[in-house]
Order: sequence, then structure tokens, then C-alpha cells
Amino acid sequence: MPDATPTHAPEGATPRPAAGDDPRPAARGSRWSAVRPAGPLLAAAALWAYAVRSTDVTTLDDFGLVTAVHPAFWAGLAVLTAGFWSTVRRTGRADAWSLAYVLVLLVMERATQALVYPTPLHAWAWKHDAVVGHLLTAGGLRTGDELGDMAVYDQWPGFFALQAAAVRLAGVENTLTLMSWWPLISSVLVLAPLVLVYRTFTEDRRLIWTAVWVFCVGNWVGQDYFSPQSLALTLHLAVIALVLRRFPAAERRGPRQAVWTTALITVMVPVVLSHQLTPVVLIASLGVLALTRRHRDWVPLLAAVALFAAWNLTASLPFLSAALPEMVASLGDIGGNVETGYGTTPTGTGAVATSWAARGLSAAVMLLALLGAVRQRELRRHARPLLLLTGVPPLLIAANDYGSEMIFRVLMFMLPGAAFFAAAALLPRTGPPGRAPRRPGEGPADAPGEGPADAAGEATAETPAGAPAPVRPGWLPLPVLLAVTFAFVPSYMGKDRLSYFPPAEVALVADLVEKAPDGSLVAAPNRNYPLAYGDYWRLDHYWFLEEDRAAVDRILRRPARALASDMKDQPEPGRCYLLFTQGQRANAEMNGQLSEAEWRRIEESVAASPFFERVAGNAAGSVYELDVEAVEAVEAAEAVEEAAR
Amino acid sequence: MTAQELVARMLPPFAGWLAVGALTLPDGSPARVAAVVVFLAAGPGAALVRIWWPALAVRPLEGPAGAGDPRFGRRSALLERLMLVPLVSVAAVTVTATTLLAAQAFSGRRVLLLLTLLTMLAAYCPRTRPS
Repeated sequence: MPDATPTHAPEGATPRPAAGDDPRPAARGSRWSAVRPAGPLLAAAALWAYAVRSTDVTTLDDFGLVTAVHPAFWAGLAVLTAGFWSTVRRTGRADAWSLAYVLVLLVMERATQALVYPTPLHAWAWKHDAVVGHLLTAGGLRTGDELGDMAVYDQWPGFFALQAAAVRLAGVENTLTLMSWWPLISSVLVLAPLVLVYRTFTEDRRLIWTAVWVFCVGNWVGQDYFSPQSLALTLHLAVIALVLRRFPAAERRGPRQAVWTTALITVMVPVVLSHQLTPVVLIASLGVLALTRRHRDWVPLLAAVALFAAWNLTASLPFLSAALPEMVASLGDIGGNVETGYGTTPTGTGAVATSWAARGLSAAVMLLALLGAVRQRELRRHARPLLLLTGVPPLLIAANDYGSEMIFRVLMFMLPGAAFFAAAALLPRTGPPGRAPRRPGEGPADAPGEGPADAAGEATAETPAGAPAPVRPGWLPLPVLLAVTFAFVPSYMGKDRLSYFPPAEVALVADLVEKAPDGSLVAAPNRNYPLAYGDYWRLDHYWFLEEDRAAVDRILRRPARALASDMKDQPEPGRCYLLFTQGQRANAEMNGQLSEAEWRRIEESVAASPFFERVAGNAAGSVYELDVEAVEAVEAAEAVEEAAR
Repeated sequence: MTAQELVARMLPPFAGWLAVGALTLPDGSPARVAAVVVFLAAGPGAALVRIWWPALAVRPLEGPAGAGDPRFGRRSALLERLMLVPLVSVAAVTVTATTLLAAQAFSGRRVLLLLTLLTMLAAYCPRTRPS
């Protein structure tokens, strides 16, 4: 691989004027020009604030927030995107303006839900709050004998330990407030390593910030919620950035710096302690980098492998040894690894439309990335390490299904590289790769009224020094940028009907969890409700729609009787509860588990059954308690009758 | 050592002791939450990166092709340093809390005290030397 990468001088080298990184705004002699980006930025923020205040989420349809949000939200998003493009396409604008636009975009994308909904979204996030609750209650890690399947979280406890410390020190009861805001926090955290990775391959701030924008709008897969992987992605990107920047091949390395290795290991440790999949991606990525001539340094890879092995052969060995046969079986089973299975098929106009919007968004980003990589030959050559890193995650599909989530994780890990090349597709071809555009006033490229030149750009001109001036991108890419930005909304917020749990639903389940005696069973159609894992160390669960289809059909034939038989064997002093909530119903209907009629039949059967007594309920759901003695009496009578026959 | 350097050196452990003091405030009060969050997010990282940075900064960094603009390089290095501060802090909190949980000895106060002591120790350590 040709080595086209220059090396910056160490800190403290004599400064000289820079063309592309001048902090001074473009100005063009005018104060108005310098602050012009503030107009659309403030207008977008004002429209968004008005939209948030005017949005009513009491009744959500199958399109979630897409139809519920006030139209001013869409207007704000359009103004913001147009303002961003107008700002970023001009050379010489200070990075601060682009950063401000990206931050407002993140607020609009990731804080809207925190403000319009009174409770945190996503049953998976509530599950992670329960894990933090368990660590705070137990004061230590527990084994599989005590916790069953949930012990896996005690074997990768890093993220939860961090949150448990924060909760205890802040003196708050739980992580619910943090959960609501975590998508914004984790999305802001990822910006620094992302920008750093991009700055390794280009000085062109238009490319850097357009790529950051594409990353933000392309990252719809929802892994930014309160979860270990949200933090692990930031740490993963930070390690990649440090290796790309500070661990070149031996000929450019100079004396080895043990301190950099220490810093690198420090950042790697929480990744290994927190998440199963991210260290695997990290090792594969570092392995690919070490194979290139430019980054042939084995130290980062060996450090990651050593940490990974140390943790997996000790603390998480129980989980791995139990899961190993299944992992080996799924190796190479690409079809099985991308299969989603029963109960995960989008059903209904809203769910289908939003799913296609999400697929279309990812496809658009990937196609743009392909176009960018093909079109920008010099950039492709120079940013080859990033291209190679983008190719690593798809290999995971051949390795494991990761609980039917692998395809989403692959998209997430591909996105940093894909966004970079997708942004390159929106910008004009430039001469020397990665060169920063010249400052305004240094060449005619920034003069007003320039004519069209490139498919996506305007005004090719020569600088006074004779070097080719950068081409300012035209307005053609704006519709593309608007389309992907708008597509983010249905992709990310289109299924809020099943992700949002109103306060009545939270109150109903919280009351049940609080009052249920130790060892009780909480049965429910599925686990899509708040506190589904509440007090999981002392309560059992049975989610009957998550069984195989034959078992569900058996329940549908005689719902109350079949459920009563399935639930009755709970040892004393535990009791048996059956819970129906609107979140479960939305999930069952929108993911093809049950039709509306089937759901109604189950609920009516239970309500009319002598085996079940309704012990609590509100507008969001009902709680039934099973009369175990009645079930056993009927079953005993039936057994006698059967024997007599 | 200038007064400015002294302040920069002592600020992280001071933030740690401030967070320890804030534990006397009512549960969930904004001042307590702010003191704890600021220290956990930046204190240990700032103290450790201060020690490491002279040795870190000496290694030349990789930049874009056709570059060589020292201002761009310096800004990237600054961003790198700013990125390391919270991430090293996160690592320190994660490792401390996980270790205490594994030892069945977890408590918020222990986590905070250990991190504050680590930060204080780091503040008293001399900075690494470029080699």
C-alpha cells in the first residue's frame, strides 16, 4: 500500500499560517457574513422549541412521533439542514458553526423524545435500569445459579457499575432521568472520536462536517439508548482514532512510547468490561489495520487480545462456556444469522412504512458511500484504512446472529466509514486528497456568483499561486441531505407507539412489582412494558408470545385454560400474576405476534375465566391473579374423569 | 511552577473533595448532582492526562495526505487531549466500581474516595518527560 500519509510535527513545532484551519470566520470583510449562519440556526431552534411545546403524545398512531409531532418540527429540520449546507459549503467558515449546527441537529433528533414524553422510552432501556437496581441492591456481582440468564449482565458489568456509582453518589432513586437523556449524551460523546478519525484523513472541513452530519442522521438503529453498546461505540472509535493517529508503521514511528500504549489500554479496558460484541469488532478492526503497511504495529492488537482473553477466560467464562456450542453452530450460518424470526415482522401500515424508511435510509447512505469511494479516487487511496475498517463489520454476519440483532450492529459499526465516503459523494472532486480549501480571499473560488463546474460543485479556478482552488459544492447535494435527514425521523421515532409507556402503565407495573411476594411469577404476552425486569432477582417471568408458534397456537385455542396450566406451578410463597398493558399490545400488533382480534380473544377469555381475578387495572392495562387451587381442582377432576374413561 | 499551572494541577483533586463534601447535601439536589457528575466525568481523566501528555505529545501524529499544516495538527492534538479526559475518567470510574462490585464491597462513597485519592496522587506526581 503506498504511503501517502504525512506526519505532523510534534506539539510545539513552529507554527506557520494555515489555509484550511483558520479559526477566523470567512467574513469577506463583513461582520454580517460572519454571523450569517446564526440566522437559520436560531430559526431552526425556535421552530423546534415551538414544536416540542405544541406536540401532544396522549394518542399515538402506528407512525409514532412522525404524525404526532407538530409540523414546525419538520420546518425546523428543513431550515437547519439548509442552513448547515449553506454554512459548510463555504470554505473558511469556522468549525464552531458546523459544530453548532450538528449539536442542534442532535438536540432535535435525540432530545425531542426526552421532552415530549413524560417517561423514558424502550423496554430494553428499562431492563438496563433494572440491572443497575440489582447491583445497588446486591452490592456485588452474582452468579448464574442466583440469577439465571440475567447473570450475563454481572459478567460484563462495566457500564452498569459506572451508572450504579453515579446513581448512588447523586442520591437519586434510579436512572430514569438519565435514561431519557442518554441518547443525546451518548450521541454527543461520540462526536470527538468521530471527528478525530475524519481529521486523520482530510483537512477539508466541508468533508469532515458533512460526514459527521451523515453519521448523525444515518445512525437510526437506536443503539444510542441507555446501554453498554452506546458507550462502547464511543470508546471503540476513540481507540481506532488513537491507533490511526499515533501508531503508524515502524519506519515513521520513532521511539516507542509506552505512555501511548498505557493510554490506549486505559480506553480499551471499559470496552472489555462492558460489552460482548464491541471488543470482537475492535480486535478485528485492529487486526485489519495491523495488516496494512501504513499501520503495521502489532501492539494495539496484542493489547486488545490480551485484555479480551483475560476477561473472557475469567469473569465471563461461565457465560461463554454455556454459549459456546451455539456460537460454534451459528458460525458460517449467514442465513440463520440475519433471520429475525417469529414476532419480529413489521405489521400494519405504520410499522411497514417506517421499516422501509429505515431500510431506505441505510441503503441510501451505503450507496452514497459506494459512489463516494468510486468517484473520489485520491481520497479512496488515502483513506484506505477507513475503507478497510468499514468492511470489517459485515464479516460478523457470518459469525453469529447476536440475538437477531447482528444486522443492526453491523450497520452501526459500518456507519463511521460509510458516512465519510457518503459525504465525499456529495462534495466535488478535489485535486490533492484531503487538502483543505483555501481561505476566502486567497482565491476566487469563494467569490459570489460563481458558475457551475462539477456535477455537485461550482467555480473551478486557479489560485494566485497557481495551485487549483477548491471547488465550492453547489446546491445539488442539498435535496439529498434533506432526504436522509427527514428519513431519520420515521426510522428513529416511527415506532414510538410501542416504545413509549405512559405514566399509567408505569404506575400499574411498578405497583405490581412492589407488592408481588418473593418468588412470584409475572406472566405477560411479551416483555415490551416498563419494569418488565423489575426486581428480576426475586421475580420469575413468562412471556407467552415469545414461545414458538406451536405453543402460541395452543394458547390461542383455549387462552385462559392454557395460561392457567402453564402458570400454576409456582412454589410458595410466590403468587402468579398475568399482566396486560398497552405497550405489550402495540408490540404484539406491530410486530406480527397477534392480530387485534386474537389479542382481544385472549384478554376476554382471561377476564371471563374463573381461574383469574382482576386485582388491579387502569386505562393502560390490567393485572390478574391466578387462583392456583381452582386450577388444580379442575385438573384433578379432569384426571379422575380421564382415568374413569 | 506558575500559579496557573498550580491551579490546573490542583483543580481535579479539589473537584473530588468538593464531590465528597457534596454528599452531605440532600439526595438528588442539583448542587450534589453537579459536583458528582463533573468530578466523575473529568476529574480522574484530567489528572492522569496531565501527567501523560508531555510524553504523549512528543510522538508525531498522522495527518491527511498533502497536509503538514501545523495549526491543523495542533488542533487535532487538542481535540485528542480533550477526548481523552472524559474517556479516561469513564475508564477509571468503571474499573473502580467494577472492582468493588467483584469484591462484594461496593458503595458510592468508596468509589468516590478511591477516585479522589487516585486523582490527588496523580496531581502530586511529576509529569512524564518526553523521551
